[in-house]
Amino acid sequence: MEADSLNSLVTGAIWRAEQLEAHNIKSAPQAWAEVSSLEEELAKVLPVSGPEGRIARRGAVRAALKAGDYARAEAMAGCYSAEDAAPKSLKTELAKILEEDTRAMARRFRYAARHHSPREARDLARRFRQAGAFGLAA
Amino acid sequence: MDINLAQLREMHARLPADLALVMVGRAMLALERSGHKSGVPLSLDLERILSSGLLIWPGAALSELDQHDYNRITEDGAEAVVLAVAHRHRAWCIVRRMQREEYADWLLEDTAGGRRQVVALEVSGVDRGSILARLGMKLTQVAKSVDADQRWAGVVGFERPIMALHSTKRRKRGS
Repeated sequence: MEADSLNSLVTGAIWRAEQLEAHNIKSAPQAWAEVSSLEEELAKVLPVSGPEGRIARRGAVRAALKAGDYARAEAMAGCYSAEDAAPKSLKTELAKILEEDTRAMARRFRYAARHHSPREARDLARRFRQAGAFGLAA
Repeated sequence: MDINLAQLREMHARLPADLALVMVGRAMLALERSGHKSGVPLSLDLERILSSGLLIWPGAALSELDQHDYNRITEDGAEAVVLAVAHRHRAWCIVRRMQREEYADWLLEDTAGGRRQVVALEVSGVDRGSILARLGMKLTQVAKSVDADQRWAGVVGFERPIMALHSTKRRKRGS
């Protein structure tokens, strides 16, 4: 798909997600997942050397976090940071986005954060998703 | 200069039609609930150059007012007015909407100088009172936006229709 069409789609998707979030509608995370998916498509057609390519890459990661999908956000941030032409500033920003989300999670679950680091909790969640409930016991 | 809100979609081809309808609808409600009718004079402050125009719209159904969030009418209405004026005065076209963490609502393109430049634009609306404080706040916000060649803030006051569109100093991309 062409960048123009994707730009129109991501514009509408961000607008919808913002409106749902503003009204505390439960499906807001799904709307952000759609935004992340469209930003990812834009990132495929726009080079990281251009401003719009970098905006799309940051957008894909941020929207995945708003959708509650840390694993996807982390994977995309890793991919985008590994691109040959990725400027240092983008790598720093992507790392900052993930760090800010981790800090927000630690603030939200203060008691749990005293016993487990957010990284441990996320690692556990990832293993749970990959192996299922019985996989953890193995 | 006439600024016809009904032409917003024609001005910005990448703006989804349903979104343009909602934004223009809310702009009409914002203007009419402040007692204005289509053809009202709009005072313009474009980079501190003062002028005026006529703001035209097809007419709102004020009976629908209660179906919309009060603040959204002001904010979304302001977006329609600023985007229409930005196109009429600068020939800017929307590229896309941005997530709020980019410190701007819209990314536009400016092809006037022969070289395409991207413009980060932050927009806000004020229902009553002066727009100056809000404009300062929005300029501070948009100045943090990275990856744009130009950074601008546009604020609309609906009480006595007024709009200001100011830029921050030009910075190098990505700095």
